[in-house]
Amino acid sequence: MLKLKLLFFGLSLITALMLQAQTDAGNRALIKGSIRDAQNKSKLSGATILVMGSTLSTVADVNGNFSLSLPAGNQQLLVSYLGYTDTSISVSLQNGETKLLNINLSSTSSELGGVVVTGFLQGQARALNQQKTADNIKNVISSDQIGRFPDPNAAEALQRVPGVNIERDQGEGRYVLVRGLAPQFTNMNVNGEQIPSPEAGVRFVALDAIPSDQLASIEVTKSLTPDMDGDAVGGSVNLITRQANNQNLHVNGSLVGGYNNLMKQPNIQGQLSADKRFGKDQKLGVLVNTNYYHNHLGSDNWEQSVGDNEVELRDYELVRTRMGLSSTIDYKFNNRNEVYLRGLYTRFTDREWRRRYVFVPEDEEIEKMTKDRFEEQAILSINLGAKHNFNKFYVNYEGQYSEGRQNTPFDHELSFIGGLPSELSFPDPKFPTINAPGFNDNTNYEFNDVTYGNTLAKDRNLTAKFEVGVPYTLKNSTGVFKFGGKVRFKEKSFSITEDVYESEGGVPDASWFDQDPIKDEFLGGRFNLGRPLYVSKFNNFFNANPGLFELDVEGKAITEAVEAYDASEDVYAAFAMAKHQWKKLMLLGGVRYESTSVNYNSKDVIIDGAGDLAAIIPVSGGTTYDFFLPQVQARYALSNFTNLRGAATFSYARPNFEEIVPAQEINVEDNEATLGNKELKPVSALNLDAMYEHYFGNVGIVSAGLFYKKLDDFIYRRVIFGSPYPLTGTPTIESIDVIQAQNGNVANVGGIELAFQRKLDFLPGFLKNMSLYTNYTYTDSKATIQSRDANEDKPDEEEEIKLPGQADHVGNFSLAYESKKFVVRASVNFNGTYLSEVGGNKDEDLYVKNRAQVDLSASYVINKRFRLFTEFLNVTNQPFETYQGNENTFVQREFYGWWARLGVKFDLEKITGK
Amino acid sequence: MQRFLTIAALSFLLVFVAGCDKQKDDIVMPLTSEEFPQVIRFDDEGDGDIEDEDKFSFKLVLNDRVDPEGEELGGKIVPLENDVTVSFEVSDFEGFAKISDYILDGTAFYEVDDCTTSEDNGVDLKLVFDRNTGKGSVTFPKDVEEIEVEFEVSEDLFDDNKLNTNDRFIEFEITGVSGDNKLVTYNPDFSFTYEPLDDESISGEWALDPLDAAQFAAFKKLFSPINEDVANLKASEVEEILLSVEYNEVKVEVVLKETETVTECGDTDVENKVIEIEADLEELDLQTLDGEIELVGEIEQDDETLEEFVYKGEFKITGNKLELSLTGEYDGDETDEVTLVFSK
Repeated sequence: MLKLKLLFFGLSLITALMLQAQTDAGNRALIKGSIRDAQNKSKLSGATILVMGSTLSTVADVNGNFSLSLPAGNQQLLVSYLGYTDTSISVSLQNGETKLLNINLSSTSSELGGVVVTGFLQGQARALNQQKTADNIKNVISSDQIGRFPDPNAAEALQRVPGVNIERDQGEGRYVLVRGLAPQFTNMNVNGEQIPSPEAGVRFVALDAIPSDQLASIEVTKSLTPDMDGDAVGGSVNLITRQANNQNLHVNGSLVGGYNNLMKQPNIQGQLSADKRFGKDQKLGVLVNTNYYHNHLGSDNWEQSVGDNEVELRDYELVRTRMGLSSTIDYKFNNRNEVYLRGLYTRFTDREWRRRYVFVPEDEEIEKMTKDRFEEQAILSINLGAKHNFNKFYVNYEGQYSEGRQNTPFDHELSFIGGLPSELSFPDPKFPTINAPGFNDNTNYEFNDVTYGNTLAKDRNLTAKFEVGVPYTLKNSTGVFKFGGKVRFKEKSFSITEDVYESEGGVPDASWFDQDPIKDEFLGGRFNLGRPLYVSKFNNFFNANPGLFELDVEGKAITEAVEAYDASEDVYAAFAMAKHQWKKLMLLGGVRYESTSVNYNSKDVIIDGAGDLAAIIPVSGGTTYDFFLPQVQARYALSNFTNLRGAATFSYARPNFEEIVPAQEINVEDNEATLGNKELKPVSALNLDAMYEHYFGNVGIVSAGLFYKKLDDFIYRRVIFGSPYPLTGTPTIESIDVIQAQNGNVANVGGIELAFQRKLDFLPGFLKNMSLYTNYTYTDSKATIQSRDANEDKPDEEEEIKLPGQADHVGNFSLAYESKKFVVRASVNFNGTYLSEVGGNKDEDLYVKNRAQVDLSASYVINKRFRLFTEFLNVTNQPFETYQGNENTFVQREFYGWWARLGVKFDLEKITGK
Repeated sequence: MQRFLTIAALSFLLVFVAGCDKQKDDIVMPLTSEEFPQVIRFDDEGDGDIEDEDKFSFKLVLNDRVDPEGEELGGKIVPLENDVTVSFEVSDFEGFAKISDYILDGTAFYEVDDCTTSEDNGVDLKLVFDRNTGKGSVTFPKDVEEIEVEFEVSEDLFDDNKLNTNDRFIEFEITGVSGDNKLVTYNPDFSFTYEPLDDESISGEWALDPLDAAQFAAFKKLFSPINEDVANLKASEVEEILLSVEYNEVKVEVVLKETETVTECGDTDVENKVIEIEADLEELDLQTLDGEIELVGEIEQDDETLEEFVYKGEFKITGNKLELSLTGEYDGDETDEVTLVFSK
């Protein structure tokens, strides 16, 4: 009902405004230009340009550029920007004229004395100005602000945003969760358009593949407008690459060296960016930005399987690289027309060695294994678009090609087994006590099997979109009516090769294939892991003695058939919206329509009662769904520095491909069938938001927000006990337990977000140089799922759980001392405890324990062009911990050690005219 | 300034190039499943027969591979594309002095179909065997899935009237494959052992008298849970009940009076119908007259799953009598101990 009301309201508003606008359309002119810092000429994105005596205004974009259609005649413009003095400009405009205005603003010197030298407050000012003037509720992080924290990738930069927490891999941020919702509820964009996921089966993007050095800014949108993709329930993240802004060649970059304490290995990092606008009128802009990051890292980890009385010791070693290359070429034909080409290519590689022992006392066995795997994730995004401004309307259009690819050319795991007794106990729940004499003597281990695999996942988007905006005036108020459309064609596929070789004898014991230990000690010297297995050494033996090995042909057929698939997804979207500004009130309303058609090809695998592969049957499936998404946003300016915001929006989240691809594994022997569900509907959501925000003139903010989300058709893993198979038609199996992702349940999410950041210049003495950046989010959720106590007698019994991935408490605290030359900062990022996996019963639920990471950073300004900086991360060696049932039953504890970097940042030829 | 720019750019390039793909330098890539050679090996680890048997054989087979046609999901034997010669030798033996004392002659063949061998078609697999050194070779032809090498042996060498408590066996190993070497190899670790079974031990065939009502009832009680046909059996329907203790397995055969017409390789015979129960020997000492015995087998259920049955107990041989005391476990139920008496 609410959806209908909002739809009706939105359409009414649009219609009324359009009709009214037609009557008010008169002689108009266009002003275009840019807003810059008067001293260092940097562009000021988010600056407001207001036509005095009216509500007509616009906001400078991320590159500080603006355009504004306004009535011809003499006009007085007021340009304002947080931390800068308001500037008033008179212009005289002829009917149909396009006037170019480049406006310089001066900083409020007493507050921003250090801006020119350090650029420190400038980034914060840029971000907050964009946030303040945004039509909807969003957080913006500029590259300067990213640079203030020791965050090498986009995920880690996002962890500083209110309401955002991250999932980590080997201590580095990877997936982003907005407002307590799992990663698939947030869409990822580069330069305003969604990028595909390199990973198989999912839609969300691992953001550790994207170096933060490539970005000009990151936007986290928490309430959608109709011109945005509607498939974002948690939020929408937009990664914006840089653009040429300088008349002279501008080169900046960094060279960094570092050290990882756990691995006792160095790491290196560098970034180089050059940009320049060419020609007398600077019509052509070219920017090239490249970076490289090479890191040796690792972790010491133990895990246990509580019910099975098994413990694993895992010793990880990784070599991780992150390379980025981005370029923007833009050409401004004149003040009204421009084209641009933006490209981003990122390549993330991970060579991982996982060396582990698995202690199984009940079988009197210990397994010793080494995994050697190389994985490459690459993302390519190319956007080609144009913007045209006419007197009475503007047109923007863009095409995008983007591709995500995850290539694992080798994934080898070597396993030996020793028939050794072991005793496991936990007198200290933080570490296992293992009594297993001889477990690190490799002569005790005989060959078990070796797995040789490789995979390739591809995801490709081809997108085209346009939008038309028509500014209008209604007596003393102004607005913009906008409509547009979009198509996106996606193709996703996954292929896998997995060869498992076993042997009936003749393979020497493990001591023939070992190597020197990689680390001096493991888990603080608690365990001596002995000499690890060296996979390449074994592979030489394998290649020389193939007659000793036999391929598990059936296992290969099963794995490759179950996991491989290809899919296509076509999305058609259209929207219409109007934004209207009365004196203090901005109201934005509209509706978006999205239609999605999905098709899949995969295979069913049927395993008979004897455990043998009975059949592999190719299957195809598909589904179509549509969404009407009314969106309403309101912003009321209580003062020049204070906004009150509200939003009611509808959105949805598409299911992951791994849930909808109709692949099936029917295992009669285990009485278990795992089925994809091509009929799975997306999760639809109603989102209500309210936000109070007050900005400080010296660049800061205090804000408080409330949010509530009602999720329908929530997707959960359902077990249908004793079901006939297939679920429809004539059953070929009378009774089997079917596991399938299904819709049908409701989830509610609500919370409060608080943020405070400002320079503490009201304090006395040296304390006035302190600044505080802090935020806190409390979230609560309830989702109804099939009860874990359900069985054939009571299959519909339900229970309530918290949403997996939702932490009650998430926050950041960062305190800095900032003088003109020297900055030192201590930052704490806190992620509260959250449910990670829903177990077979409540006692088996797996939780990720709260974690607070402390980072230290400092920088010293040598001169206008060079800055030295150093960073210490994870100073307290905070582990990643999971527990089952209660907090003292740890299931996993993983330690990464601390790592540090020391480097120099340079910024050359920044000042125009020199 | 320009110098700095150059240095910065070069440093960055150096870092970039230095790190590029070095991560994959030290990996040794294994043979892919397509590159993986054909592997010839013995079909089984061993075999055995009663000590007065006059021949034994081993089979050479190819390992299963992925079916290039994609029809056999569990894989299949893909025959060789060229003939190869497989070398083998006697790697060990006990219980006799010289190989030539036991092995008298040999032949090699493969099955063309159920009724025809390569010998029938005049195909010579060029078996060579030196009875003095124990070394030999045989052709493994293209387009063939397995070949069998059969030896004629002395039936008198081990045939005695006493219980033997020493090991008696002959072991073979493959020592090489020549011909299409790159595409074919062999399993050097897989050996084949043949053991003459002592007919004074539990090995061999034993009979239970179906006309002994008590014994017949005991037999039915023991095996009815795993075989419905036995459960419904009447003594009057039974010709004989046989227990065969073979190499690593046991067969129970109930030969019925009811007959059926069987046509095999063009010959038609009238044969008695047989109820068969087979199980693997998990535990049995062949060098004593009494001891423990354990049999394990599987029964296919209606839903095609397999349910395991286990029979455990003791045996005792007195003269030509075998006393077998067993308890059975199947599908969660246990039978009481039953003693069966068989005779040679």
